[in-house]
Amino acid sequence: MPFKIYGFPPSTCTRRVALVCKELNVPYELIPVSIPKGEHKAPEYLKRQPFGVVPAIDDDGFTMFESRPVARYLVAKYGKGSTLVPDPKDIIATAKFEQAVSVENNHFDEPAGELFLQLVIKPMRGLPKDEERVKTLLATLNSKLDVYEMVLAKQPYLGGDILTLADLFHLPWLYGLTEKAKLDLVTSRPNVARWYQEISSRPAWQAVKDGA
Amino acid sequence: MAILKLYGWPESTATWRVAIVLHEAKVPFEFVNVNILNADYKTPEYLEKQPFGQIPYIDDDGFILFESRAIGRYIAAEHPESKLIPTDPKKHALFEQAASIEFANFDFNADPLIKALARKRFLGQDSDQAPLDAKMETLEGRLDVYEKILAKQRYIAGDEITLADLFHLPRAQFIETYIKSGVMTSSSRPHVARWYDELLSRPSWKAFEGGVKGILEY
Repeated sequence: MPFKIYGFPPSTCTRRVALVCKELNVPYELIPVSIPKGEHKAPEYLKRQPFGVVPAIDDDGFTMFESRPVARYLVAKYGKGSTLVPDPKDIIATAKFEQAVSVENNHFDEPAGELFLQLVIKPMRGLPKDEERVKTLLATLNSKLDVYEMVLAKQPYLGGDILTLADLFHLPWLYGLTEKAKLDLVTSRPNVARWYQEISSRPAWQAVKDGA
Repeated sequence: MAILKLYGWPESTATWRVAIVLHEAKVPFEFVNVNILNADYKTPEYLEKQPFGQIPYIDDDGFILFESRAIGRYIAAEHPESKLIPTDPKKHALFEQAASIEFANFDFNADPLIKALARKRFLGQDSDQAPLDAKMETLEGRLDVYEKILAKQRYIAGDEITLADLFHLPRAQFIETYIKSGVMTSSSRPHVARWYDELLSRPSWKAFEGGVKGILEY
């Protein structure tokens, strides 16, 4: 039974799950849930994901949602030998991984996501940009990436010496902001640039970057 | 082995989040007060340890860690007898789902409300009320979903308590107490109220009524 992703191909979170499927060579079936048509708010979908956002997954009857936990589940179930999540027996490496995952969630995801909304989604829908808000968000995101620059000067990846999900989780928004919103977030930051160049050129990301 | 040191502020919700887990796992710790009114968290020495300039962080015999939820997970991993993270693969996946729900739905909407109050309290700055009212409405909409989940299971990840429940507690209590009474206790969401009440009755919460402090012996 193939791994099923109920999602919307261009959605950030749907691509985040598809990316990890590709990294682990887990074939998946994408069952479309159209955001423009509001299918993510339909009663049948709400049974899968009561908060009414994409994606949700069904792995041979085991259902869950939230893209980052799904990614962790994929590694746990299908990633034998994968280093995308550290061995739980290595408590220190795991703690540093969890710190990096929390940093992505707490410091990066929100300003990045809202910037994308302001700079790409709103114009697409013919809505005006909130220039003041964009300025604030840019200042926040830039200050966070300045910290990333310092961290990545001392270690190759956000969790330490090994590439993990913590790095990959950044891809959908970073790709969107650099390629679609045309923001220059990396050229003035050589370590961030090196890190982003590496993670974005991975074949798994190349396969799903424009649609899961 | 040096005692674990928690660097934070007694009334910070993120500091509370760590203190609760330390208590649940019965880990002795020393509390080091970071003077936020002096912006001690922005000094070069502090930024060496926590480069984002936020509280809290821990120093566990030389091992430095920040991000309150990462610290909570570290403590739970070091003390598996506290049973705060399930080991069964499917229960573990549902725990991760619940931890993500906390962040994406509860904290995401609670954060601007709490920050607005902090700006008012420490900087005397007023905030535009309309967006805050909208955030509160969104938060309550998410709690309506929590109501459906908690009608079918005792805790947010399943029938056993996990870190995911505890992670909610500081900000849930803060909003209920200082921002809008009834958010967590309203009879229109009886299962949320039951769950919230249970969490509040835990000794790990009661231990810090009045502010986080160190514990040398349990």
